[in-house]
Amino acid sequence: MPKIYFDNNATTRLDASVFEEMLPFLRDNYGNPSSLHSFGREARRALDNARAHVANLIGAEPGEIVFTSGGTEADNQAIIGTVDIIGKPGGRIITSAVEHQAVLNSCQHLQNKGYRTTLLPVDREGRIKLADLDKALDNDAVLVSIMYANNETGSIQPVEEAASIAKSRGILFHCDGVQAAGRLPIDVRKLGVDLFSLSSHKINGPKGSGALFVRRGILAPVLIHGGHHEQRRRAGTENVASIVGFGEACRLAKQRLDETARNCATLRDRLEKRIIEEVQPAVLNSCRGICLPNTLNVSFPGVDGQFLAINLDLMGIAVSTGSACHAESREPSYVLKAMGRSDDEASSCIRFSLGRENTIEEVDAVVLALKELVRSLRAT
Amino acid sequence: MKHSGERIVAAMSGGVDSTVAAALLVREGREVIGVTLQLQSCDEVTTERSCCSAAATSRAGGVASRLGIPHYVLDFRKEFENEVLRHTWAEYSRGRTPNPCVICNEKIKFGLLFEFARSVGAGKIATGHYARTEKAPGGSVFLQRGLFSPKDQSYFLFSVPESRLSSVVFPVGGLSKDRVRSISKELGFVEEISESQDACFAVRGKSYSELLRRRFGAPANPGKVIGPDGTVVGRHDGIHKFTVGQGRKLGIALGEKCWVKSIDPETACVYITTESGDLLSRGLTASVVKWNGGCDREGPLECLIQVRYRQAAVRGTVEFPTQGIVKVQFQNPIRAVAPGQAVVFYDGDRVLGGGWIESSY
Repeated sequence: MPKIYFDNNATTRLDASVFEEMLPFLRDNYGNPSSLHSFGREARRALDNARAHVANLIGAEPGEIVFTSGGTEADNQAIIGTVDIIGKPGGRIITSAVEHQAVLNSCQHLQNKGYRTTLLPVDREGRIKLADLDKALDNDAVLVSIMYANNETGSIQPVEEAASIAKSRGILFHCDGVQAAGRLPIDVRKLGVDLFSLSSHKINGPKGSGALFVRRGILAPVLIHGGHHEQRRRAGTENVASIVGFGEACRLAKQRLDETARNCATLRDRLEKRIIEEVQPAVLNSCRGICLPNTLNVSFPGVDGQFLAINLDLMGIAVSTGSACHAESREPSYVLKAMGRSDDEASSCIRFSLGRENTIEEVDAVVLALKELVRSLRAT
Repeated sequence: MKHSGERIVAAMSGGVDSTVAAALLVREGREVIGVTLQLQSCDEVTTERSCCSAAATSRAGGVASRLGIPHYVLDFRKEFENEVLRHTWAEYSRGRTPNPCVICNEKIKFGLLFEFARSVGAGKIATGHYARTEKAPGGSVFLQRGLFSPKDQSYFLFSVPESRLSSVVFPVGGLSKDRVRSISKELGFVEEISESQDACFAVRGKSYSELLRRRFGAPANPGKVIGPDGTVVGRHDGIHKFTVGQGRKLGIALGEKCWVKSIDPETACVYITTESGDLLSRGLTASVVKWNGGCDREGPLECLIQVRYRQAAVRGTVEFPTQGIVKVQFQNPIRAVAPGQAVVFYDGDRVLGGGWIESSY
């Protein structure tokens, strides 16, 4: 049986055309974009081109895009860099309990240095309450960081409203958009965010590149110090081939946005419907409607999620029990716990995250495997 | 790839023994699934040698990928805490000397891991223990010492139920440590991989029992230290910090060498002696947890007796006064027989049974 990949929130396959675009920069076009000669100019042109594609994906200007090594670095730069610039001792960062570890552990790092963190709770659907945010914005607040869509459940936060609350109080707003950019239409102007993180490999681009949108008019946060690259906002010679691939992935994502979202949603809905009907009892952890179109998170009470995921893997079906970035510790998902799920529900969950290549036949094959495995695991 | 025989789950700690064990099975053409058990959180893991450390886990993953087998990390932290650590603390708090490795083998490695194996359709599990199994006529399966006696680990495995033993494979049980090392080299595992057994419970420079006490937020049981003449020679802040035979960190100065002779959990008194001969016991009583062929034995039985790991077994007599209790007499006295430790009975290399030491005399 050919393998089935339902783990696209962990990473995605490199698109063939992205690969083609990258190739020249892994072979003959090895120039350093900062060099004055023809080799350098060629790389610079490619970088500018990629920057335009990334900016275009989220409605930004090219000059507002800072390339990073990925989403994690972008989050670190946004949070640690901003706090660094503002330099307010004891300042407070307001974020949510369900953020990615790149955000939570950046906050933890700052907390260890004397800053303070407020984790906003979420409801059963995984969303923050705006009133909680409003209350948390005291005089010490220096930054709000709220993700666009959750990596484990796909839940979408009220980012536009949250950003507007922060703005009305004069506080900077960062949004981790790693799972959302390229999967949902994003317009940073409409959202009103100051900082926005993106990742390449979640949208069929290569690993090793990402970007931080830094709204024109704010002081750019800096994390990595060195040369004058990226307008002094991120030092280090650019990862040209990867960035070229990222640019192409953004161009394609923008072009295919509706089609991909529609296809994924059709498959996701079918998967959800069949699981709920045929693999009972199953508890839905992602909600319909206000959710990433590709993500389905389900708990199978009475089944150990890790046993289930391993058995699926042995059958050639790739899913995950939660965030791949959290895999070292298979603690019951902190995201699901924050959403009020019990230990049993949280440790019996499986995340299915679909991509543009998945098919209806694969969905049916996965349901078949699930029915069999869940029954036999419940029996033992 | 074509495999022979049924699927087998190999426990891989990242250490040399379990690495070679898994490799030997792969070499035989078996379909092997490698697993590493995560028993403690990375941030509470104590030593690099510990089988639960992140470095060891990733080493096990690396080994598995070189062997071309799937590898998974199974999170058994909650079960380890409930089944092993709680029991371990309970024993310390009663002034006893627990043996968490035996419990871990019984409940986790040869307990939960079996459930996992069954769930993936594997009929057998393999570990890197230096022990062997032997099928007796009539179908029962006995545990045996590893062929290479200096590394024998059968002591830690005595309580694994017979029904489980028939589904266990010990690929290095018939090999010497040198042979295991040379196989590891042959296989190209050149990097330094050390041993992990027994290291889950070691903390450099720290009292493990005190860490457990804090973990469970339990009260200490402080009391008096009683000298050889029955007078109070000092005070201590918890009986869990003492073990029979202990000769250091007693917190008192008598001007001569002294040892813990016994601990009374009721009065929280720790009795010490300056006579090393006082530590010798002629016998013990133990609660039996396992006896091959059932516990309903009659009459005294002569066998070999071991009261701790790395102790040369001594000859002695076992009596079965009441169901589940054994009375043991040694031919030659044994030093520092500690309640809470395991006593294991052997006939030659064969494990006859074992239990938990309740008292010595």
